[in-house]
Amino acid sequence: MSEKGLFHLLVQKIRGGEGDIIPVLRTIPIFEGLGFNDLKKIELIVHKRNFMPEEIIFYERQPGTGMYIIKKGVIKLTKTINEERVKIGELRDGEFFGEMSLLDEYPRSAEATAVEKTEALGIFRPDLFGLIESNPKLGYKILLRLSKRLASRLRETTERKLREMG
Amino acid sequence: MEKTDFQKAWKTFEIIALGFVLLSILVILYSVRELLTPFIIAFVIVFFLNPIVNYMEGGGISRTLAVVILFVLSIFVLFILWKLTWPMLQSEINDLKENAPLYLNRIQTGLDRAVDLLEKNIGLLPKGTLGKPLHEKINSLMSGTSDVNSLIKIVKELATSFIIIPFVVFFLLKDGRKVKKALIAYVPNKYFETFLVLFYKIDEQISNYIRGQLIDAFSVGLLAIIGLYLFEVNYSFLLGAILGIFNIIPFIGPLTGFAIGSSFILIDTGSTVDLLKFVGVYACVRILDDIIIAPLVLSRSVHVHTLMVIIVITLGGFFHGILGMLLAVPLFCSIKVTFQTLYKGLIEYGNW
Repeated sequence: MSEKGLFHLLVQKIRGGEGDIIPVLRTIPIFEGLGFNDLKKIELIVHKRNFMPEEIIFYERQPGTGMYIIKKGVIKLTKTINEERVKIGELRDGEFFGEMSLLDEYPRSAEATAVEKTEALGIFRPDLFGLIESNPKLGYKILLRLSKRLASRLRETTERKLREMG
Repeated sequence: MEKTDFQKAWKTFEIIALGFVLLSILVILYSVRELLTPFIIAFVIVFFLNPIVNYMEGGGISRTLAVVILFVLSIFVLFILWKLTWPMLQSEINDLKENAPLYLNRIQTGLDRAVDLLEKNIGLLPKGTLGKPLHEKINSLMSGTSDVNSLIKIVKELATSFIIIPFVVFFLLKDGRKVKKALIAYVPNKYFETFLVLFYKIDEQISNYIRGQLIDAFSVGLLAIIGLYLFEVNYSFLLGAILGIFNIIPFIGPLTGFAIGSSFILIDTGSTVDLLKFVGVYACVRILDDIIIAPLVLSRSVHVHTLMVIIVITLGGFFHGILGMLLAVPLFCSIKVTFQTLYKGLIEYGNW
């Protein structure tokens, strides 16, 4: 074994491996560009959840608590329109939903149901707020990214409305 | 989707079963409450120190290192406090030991007089009904033999606690978050979000309350000691400490501390000047506490009716003495918040 290999192994051992959660977190825009140490802190507040086919993840109108990242599987989003349940989207591996619930308790706008056996990572508001309180620097980075996402969504909605109005 | 009769009956059965499990846990905890004391003390310390560890961790050091530094610092601070206060405390304890027979004698004489007066004025009471048991209790206190066994028991308990408490505190500070996460991982998906929120609300209620009460009690005790010492009141350290310790218990505590302190002064010197000094210091400390300290440290006070607070404190004292009294209010609030959250999350949104 080479010296570099040994050193690399030692560093890996001391700081701990990436595991299976950190690579998923890296792909999420809210955690984009964060260093290993920051991601390690976020990993501590991630809850692994497994859902069976047709199992409801959250109900429409239920107060939002946090976001889910799909590690493996498929989920569908449905909404009640004119007393009928309408499918509004389907999300797959690496996609995420419910991130606005990280900021407030506003009721969920849709119902999320697992289509097949799904493994998801949940990040919830109380945990995130605790992390922000104990790590303000990291908190600032996450909140800045969340705000950017919120701003871009707002821009998209405004542009769409303007287009609709002609 | 309409629920069938079987589903409805099953839900009812689930609720009853859950209630039964909770009740069984409470009964088990009550039957082993003596063993729980060091763990309860450890939890109280953890609630108190956790924000400091979080703050240190936010500064960029690992949690384990933060806990180790905090432990070393705490030992250092406790050692300094011990060095500063022990000579004063020791001389007061020696004085108290020396004067104990005299004080008990004075109490006996006073009680005798009161009992005689009662027995004379209430014709229904035959002579000796009240006096005899009182004499027996005081005689056993004066001979000191009755308390030898309990003293050995206390020393044993303290020795066990000194081993258990630091271990539990260390590991809960270091791994508390992981333990919480592991526990909540067992909650079924359907109730997960509701229970996570509930868990945090309870944690917040208990930790804010305990932290606030302890800081408040420490400040009151310290101010009282300084005040009584400056006015040269006998046993200033012990009396101040009593006022501080009793301040942990809302409403009843400060009054009890005052009653004990003023009665003690009357037994000790019987001097009106000393009593006035004590009352003056107590009044100043209370004003400072109500205007400055309490609003600062008890900012997130609990919204429970005063009468309810008194009832739950009495129940807490009945079940687990002074620790029970300290924990009664936050536990009551936790139960209240549990019902509110469960109602909102599980029943109101129909996902029970």
